[in-house]
Amino acid sequence: MSNLLRLTWRLLKGGGRQGLLGSSLTIVAVAVSTALLLFAVAVNFAFAGRADRGAWRHPVPAKGEARAVEALHIDFLGDRPITVVDVAVLEPGVAPPRGLSRLPMPGEVAISPALAGEPALRGRYPGKIVGTIGDEGLVHPGELVAVVGHAPGDAAVSAKWKGDYRLGQSATKVADFTGAPSSDAVAYRFLAIIASVFMVVPLLVFGGAAARLTVARRDRRLASLRLVGATPGQVVAMTVAEAVITAFAGAVLGLALYAVAIPPLTQVEITGGTWFTSDMWPGVLPIAAVLLAVPLLVGLSAVVGLRRVVVSPLGVARRETPPGMRFIRVVVLLAILAVVPAMGMGVSVGVVAVVLGSAFLALNLVGPWVVGVIGRVTARTARGPARLLAGRRLVDDPRSAWRTVSGVALTGFVAGFIGLLTPPTDLDVGSDKATAWLLQDIRTGTVVVLAVSFLVAIVSSGITAASSVLDRRQTYALLRLAGTDLAVLDKARRLETLIPLVVMGGGSIATGMFCAAPFARLGVSAAGALTLLICVAAGFAGVIAAGALSRPLLRSVTTDPAPRPD
Amino acid sequence: MSQIVLEGRDLKKSFGPTVALAGVDFVVHRGEAVAIMGPSGSGKSTLLHCLAGIMRPDSGEVHLLGQRIDTLGERKRSALRRTRFGFVFQFGQLLPELPADENVALPLMLGDVPRAQAVQQARSWFGPLGLAGMEGRRPGELSGGQAQRVAIARALATRPAVVFADEPTGALDQATGHDTMRLLVDATRRNDASLVVVTHDPEVARWCDRVVEVRDGRILTGPPHTGYVTPAGLPNAGYATTVAPSYTGHVPAPQVPQESPRGWRPEAGER
Ligand SMILES: Nc1ncnc2c1ncn2[C@@H]1O[C@H](COP(=O)(O)OP(=O)(O)O)[C@@H](O)[C@H]1O
Ligand SMILES: [Mg+2]
Repeated sequence: MSNLLRLTWRLLKGGGRQGLLGSSLTIVAVAVSTALLLFAVAVNFAFAGRADRGAWRHPVPAKGEARAVEALHIDFLGDRPITVVDVAVLEPGVAPPRGLSRLPMPGEVAISPALAGEPALRGRYPGKIVGTIGDEGLVHPGELVAVVGHAPGDAAVSAKWKGDYRLGQSATKVADFTGAPSSDAVAYRFLAIIASVFMVVPLLVFGGAAARLTVARRDRRLASLRLVGATPGQVVAMTVAEAVITAFAGAVLGLALYAVAIPPLTQVEITGGTWFTSDMWPGVLPIAAVLLAVPLLVGLSAVVGLRRVVVSPLGVARRETPPGMRFIRVVVLLAILAVVPAMGMGVSVGVVAVVLGSAFLALNLVGPWVVGVIGRVTARTARGPARLLAGRRLVDDPRSAWRTVSGVALTGFVAGFIGLLTPPTDLDVGSDKATAWLLQDIRTGTVVVLAVSFLVAIVSSGITAASSVLDRRQTYALLRLAGTDLAVLDKARRLETLIPLVVMGGGSIATGMFCAAPFARLGVSAAGALTLLICVAAGFAGVIAAGALSRPLLRSVTTDPAPRPD
Repeated sequence: MSQIVLEGRDLKKSFGPTVALAGVDFVVHRGEAVAIMGPSGSGKSTLLHCLAGIMRPDSGEVHLLGQRIDTLGERKRSALRRTRFGFVFQFGQLLPELPADENVALPLMLGDVPRAQAVQQARSWFGPLGLAGMEGRRPGELSGGQAQRVAIARALATRPAVVFADEPTGALDQATGHDTMRLLVDATRRNDASLVVVTHDPEVARWCDRVVEVRDGRILTGPPHTGYVTPAGLPNAGYATTVAPSYTGHVPAPQVPQESPRGWRPEAGER
């Protein structure tokens, strides 16, 4: 075993400049995915944290003996909300809510630091200031909160709330100040889960691509090892070891990347507030889980990618026509889509998440099949050499072509889904501040999710483009020696990406819109269409730019006058 | 003697401290086959690359049909390689995802020949090279020798003036290597193309019109090796029937080169 490990390490180190470049690409790919995965995980913890910290303001009627009365309403300072909690103690000794060391008695108030620092609010909540609300009792930094003490009979703690249900709660007799997360907080957690699904699925696809990137580079070498008699087990062990080592380095780098990104991330405003640094830090256990899961997944993905080498050493060495993919893939997608119209607002979160996730994964399954079909059509109808090369390449390896565009295509799904759900900016909400926030938050969330998806998509297409140049460097170099213009090779590479991108991007957007249809009550809005349009433009530009970045690499691998196979 | 097609004058090339070419004069006549021999690292490949416009010599000149080519820009040299030269490398020059006929047609398509015509022209090479029925196979489905014959067809498809081959049979067993080399020498000769071939095999070198020995970046002077070769004809006519039975010399002229003066001419004098 230790011999195997030593050999693996040798292979890893001895790959030469190109091999090193390949490993670096894998590390970067894994680092970006890990950072974004951490973000997707953190988002859920962050909203959960907000829900918990704000729970005490939302009274739950006492089942047994009531020990206090609590009421809530939202005041405004211009557009800024001020949370006012009126409390009256019925039985002395009741524990204060989180963030407070003691309850204000009649004539006393406790306020948040931000409220204390706001000169315009001086005197709005009269009384002796007896405490400052700590961070653990605030939904977000800078929140304006006042807890006002009353005698049990006061109007503030006996009146019924008659305004918007999102802006206040009637006085309620409570047993303690534990409270329950508001319905809004629960809704946001639901949205956070959907956003996570949208971010995690492309990340998984991307992570798999990164893993296969290591494998692709080693394919030939490992096939030769098989030819000289290494057992399948040994080959698998070496590949997994290599992939896992590389992926772990990438995951650690990703954690560092994420840590650097936390300060700017905390500044994203949702529900009119930013975030505590601790909100973006999901905790030691989830982070350890991610750092462990990423290398494991990459290793697993590497094994799957290696199956062909292990089964037949000649499979890779001789490059036979790959087995065709079956139509069943399309049937799976259609079956899942058939479920969509049955969904509606009443369906539980879990079901929606599962259906969306499955549609997403099925799209990923269908991708290579469609790319293969497109390739055959392209090759058959090609007149010039670039188109012919592109078409044949798509037929030859539809999976790798799909990998280059899958990110953007899958983001097209998200964009289609969101595009249909984006509320119009000119929706007349009048003085309904609560609705205005919700709409604003949906827009912010949309932008964040799309930004993440596009980042994944573009990084992944750039990395796959670079790795495909590396994988084919010998052929490219020899073609170039024989006088093929770089321009032709470049055009072929571009077509190889653009043709499937157009078809699959369009298909994914349509699928996304179809999945969103049951939830789209507002109809297609100008804002949604604009979001969609910007997405499509950004996606295409990004993929083309990312591909263009590997052009110098193509130039460098083709200028070596004496290319040798490794 | 006959017309000079390619000429290198006092070619010098160094890689850092390593002197790969230390002043080489080299002439290729029309239709002639020249073998370059010499130990590994002696500068054979470098010489080939300089002559073929792949690499620029540090000093010296390269002329193709009287025109100086080493000073041309990369774009022009690239076009020259595509149109006037053909290349056969040790292996790996075929695109794995293209079927054999499209691999041969590719250089024609790069020269703006319409696809259908290019493929038709390409296929006309398969029969004469003993590749009938292999048109639709991909390189991974061909044996090493077959793949090299496809590569030969590709090198000749554009009707080049000179074919360069760098150890084209280095990856083949000896018998297959000899078959392949015979085909290469004969096919270039019949198409009136010149051949510059790097080889380690003295047997192979004998079929060429001339052998040039390279040592430490210089050409060894001495009597040119011509013993086994009749200047313009086939080296050893009997060999074809014994070793390469598939290639009998009764070559059906490819339908293609109607207008080309340098067609594949069945030679009357042969057998
Ligand atoms: N790209 C290069 N960089 C550095 N040295 C090179 C390069 N190409 C060739 N050489 C050196 O030049 C000499 C001649 O090489 P080459 O022409 O490939 O020899 P041959 O083909 O006869 O084996 C060798 O010493 C080789 O190491
Ligand atoms: Mg050499």
